[in-house]
Amino acid sequence: MTVALLLGALLAAACVVLVALPFLREPAPRVDALPAPGELAQRQLELIEERDRALAALKELEFDHRTGKITDPDYRALVGEYRRRAALALRALEPRLEEHPRRVRARD
Amino acid sequence: MADLGRAALIVTFGLVLWATFAGAWAARLGRRRLADSAANALLAALVSTAVASLVLLAALVRHDFSFTYVADHTSTRLSRAYSVSAFWGGQEGSLLLWLLVLCAYAGAAVLLNRRRAPDVVAWTVPVLGAVASFFAFLLVAVASPFATQTAPAEGAGLNPSLQNPYMLAHPPLLYLGYVGLTVPFAFGMGALLAGRADERWIVATRRWTLVAWTALGVGQLLGAHWAYVEVGWGGFYAWDPVENAALMPWLAATAFLHSVMIQEKRGMLKVWNVLLVLLAFGLSLFGTFLTRSGVVNSIHSFTQSSIGPWFLGFICVVVAGSLALVFARLPLLRAKTRLESLVSREATFLYNNLLLVAFCLTVLWGVAFPMLSEAVRGEPRTLAGPYYNFFLRAFGLPLLLLMGIGPLVAWRRASLGSVGRTFLWPFAVSVAVGVALIAAGAGSSLPGLLAYTFSAFVLASIVLEFVRGTRAAGSFLQLVSRNRRRYGGYVVHAAIVLVAIGIAGSAYGSTREAKLRPGESMRVGGYTLTYRSLGDTRTAGAIERRARVDVYRGGDRVATVFPGKNAYFAEQQTSNEMAIYTSWPRAEDVDVIADQIDPATDVVYFKALVKPLVNFLWIGGAVFLFGSLIALWPDAREQRRLVARYALAHS
Amino acid sequence: MARKRNPARLVIALSVAAVLAIFLLYTSLVAQGTPSLQPSDLPGRTGNVTLGGLVVGRPTGNGHDAPLRFTIRDRKGTATVRVAYRGSVPDLFRAGRDVSVQGKLQNGVFVAERNTLVTKCPSKYTPAKKQQPGY
Repeated sequence: MTVALLLGALLAAACVVLVALPFLREPAPRVDALPAPGELAQRQLELIEERDRALAALKELEFDHRTGKITDPDYRALVGEYRRRAALALRALEPRLEEHPRRVRARD
Repeated sequence: MADLGRAALIVTFGLVLWATFAGAWAARLGRRRLADSAANALLAALVSTAVASLVLLAALVRHDFSFTYVADHTSTRLSRAYSVSAFWGGQEGSLLLWLLVLCAYAGAAVLLNRRRAPDVVAWTVPVLGAVASFFAFLLVAVASPFATQTAPAEGAGLNPSLQNPYMLAHPPLLYLGYVGLTVPFAFGMGALLAGRADERWIVATRRWTLVAWTALGVGQLLGAHWAYVEVGWGGFYAWDPVENAALMPWLAATAFLHSVMIQEKRGMLKVWNVLLVLLAFGLSLFGTFLTRSGVVNSIHSFTQSSIGPWFLGFICVVVAGSLALVFARLPLLRAKTRLESLVSREATFLYNNLLLVAFCLTVLWGVAFPMLSEAVRGEPRTLAGPYYNFFLRAFGLPLLLLMGIGPLVAWRRASLGSVGRTFLWPFAVSVAVGVALIAAGAGSSLPGLLAYTFSAFVLASIVLEFVRGTRAAGSFLQLVSRNRRRYGGYVVHAAIVLVAIGIAGSAYGSTREAKLRPGESMRVGGYTLTYRSLGDTRTAGAIERRARVDVYRGGDRVATVFPGKNAYFAEQQTSNEMAIYTSWPRAEDVDVIADQIDPATDVVYFKALVKPLVNFLWIGGAVFLFGSLIALWPDAREQRRLVARYALAHS
Repeated sequence: MARKRNPARLVIALSVAAVLAIFLLYTSLVAQGTPSLQPSDLPGRTGNVTLGGLVVGRPTGNGHDAPLRFTIRDRKGTATVRVAYRGSVPDLFRAGRDVSVQGKLQNGVFVAERNTLVTKCPSKYTPAKKQQPGY
């Protein structure tokens, strides 16, 4: 019985320590704000997703064309529009990329 | 030791309450350390719940009857494996399993995503905590597995019909499924609470949803196999509320898996997706509620427990709260793109969703009907097989067809001309198959014929996809490895088609009943069954009475089967042991049931069924698992792309 | 572009309406549901119902040569009715068990439909044997 209670107390103590750990590790941090993307970063994230979407759609169009799901005339009609969308998305992103030149990564 | 278990559960309760309230506070005010503390609380809750689970497990294995739960569900003669399975064999233990799996999922999901999307995780933690708090509350205050008593000499034991390997696999798999749906729900709500309209919550939870969905699917097929082989009435699904309880969230999750693809590709359907994930999670809670509340009349009987009202209340709170949140965030979720063409893959996905959700709601209506009609008319009315079968055909057949059409149509916009051309081959194949089937006599059932023809269409279109893809990508392995989700998905579609073929087989086949004396025969579906003799075998726990039946086809003896019954001493129960002969060349099963045995005269009333193509169900199940694994396989290139994407955002 | 949007939305709305219509038509015209009754609700009821309750007394017959005759009583009451049944008898069937069977009341006896007798297993989470429904 007492063993059980002792183990229980140990468990509770360990859990309390785990929960208090962030405060124990940094009793007086410089910044305690949650690293949440601000307005700008949020917008940038949405633009990045838009860019990835446009690029993926272009890739898929090429693949569908090669596998014969899209005929030649259809492909010619669509590819221009898809390329335009991708270019737009990239351009929308660029000004922000210019603000952070270090972070510009090569496309894979 | 029961005290340790109780203490551990109280600790868990405290921890998840902290995760909920401190987490919400931290997310609201943007406090990093407090948010980390709340996330840590979920991890700690996993530890303390694991401790409680180990205590129960140890008591079960040791047959410590001072634990009321252990005494109610095990006995000294029960083997170790089944003593372990008693963990989820009863109300309190299964709730503990729910909580344990939830904490494991929650801990892992939070750990893996806290650096990548801290703002979303900050709100996901309190949602996960809230769900966990409900279960922890039930375990602490309403249904504790650690109630103690003066230990009786012997326990109640496990019903012999549950002492089979299915009991070890089926419930845990279903729990991995039910509980797993909490993760996408929590992340979806977390993203809404954080005021985010981007895709991170979907990207983060995609694999989790797939795992939960696969577990739920495989779990259900295992259950069907259990019903077929062990329970033995010749069928594998009876539209029982408990069976439907697992089907409904699976259907909603299937719809969700498809519609998130649209959101990923086109940024549309954001509102629909959060509603769908809410539906899937809500149905999973509802399913958990159904199987333990005694509210609906089911063959799987359960006690009228006090748990029911609590569950119902929790479901109402979850649904109402989530809907309010969605409504509040509606402007954020408005789509910037529109459906461009009805001839596009988006459109087929939308129809797929419509049919899946329609069927899901139909099943829900059927399950809730007795309760509703009692409330309205004063007497409960039940809807049974015919109702469900009608809608299975009305919605399922078009769904089957769509599985073949979808892959052949391009995203965004496809011209009818190109669609017509890609359709030609599969269409020709399906027509040829249809004609051949009619010649073979399959026209006796129109839904069956349609199901087979559509199945041929889908399989042909899948093969076409693989062939054309391989030609374009260079090699088969390259193709699959670079497009794991798509081609894994095609394999899963093929699996569903196999399952559909197995189900459609039930529309054909025959049943015969006969009273036979030793030496007499009966005919069923082209087979002749000759009853030879009756014999008893005595084992440690039962008397096994078996009838020896020879199976003939066209004059040749193809098999000898032994249907019969087992009479268990201790439990004072009889179980039916159906005999199955599988004819692989003819792709059908012959099931023989000894309905009634008169030991004095050796007269046996037999029931024999011929079930065509039923084994496609189990084969389909294996293919389903294989396809899911392909789709789940981690893709290093995709990972790198995602890391690059989020690094750019957090600059 | 505005004109291109509308047909798609219209078609989707029509599809939803069509699905709803199928559902409503079927449930209102065909599937009315079978009432689940206990013996006390039975007098005066015509038509096919599902009768449920506890088996009392001593059943006779085996359902095959001779009809299985037994008495069903309300789960929490005293009203009883005699039942005549032909078909498969579940192994768990015996006096005291909770059963349900489909059929109709004829001349004071509940005449059951073949193979519709179902027994509920007495303990929690244990599936009982079924006979007829579903696949």
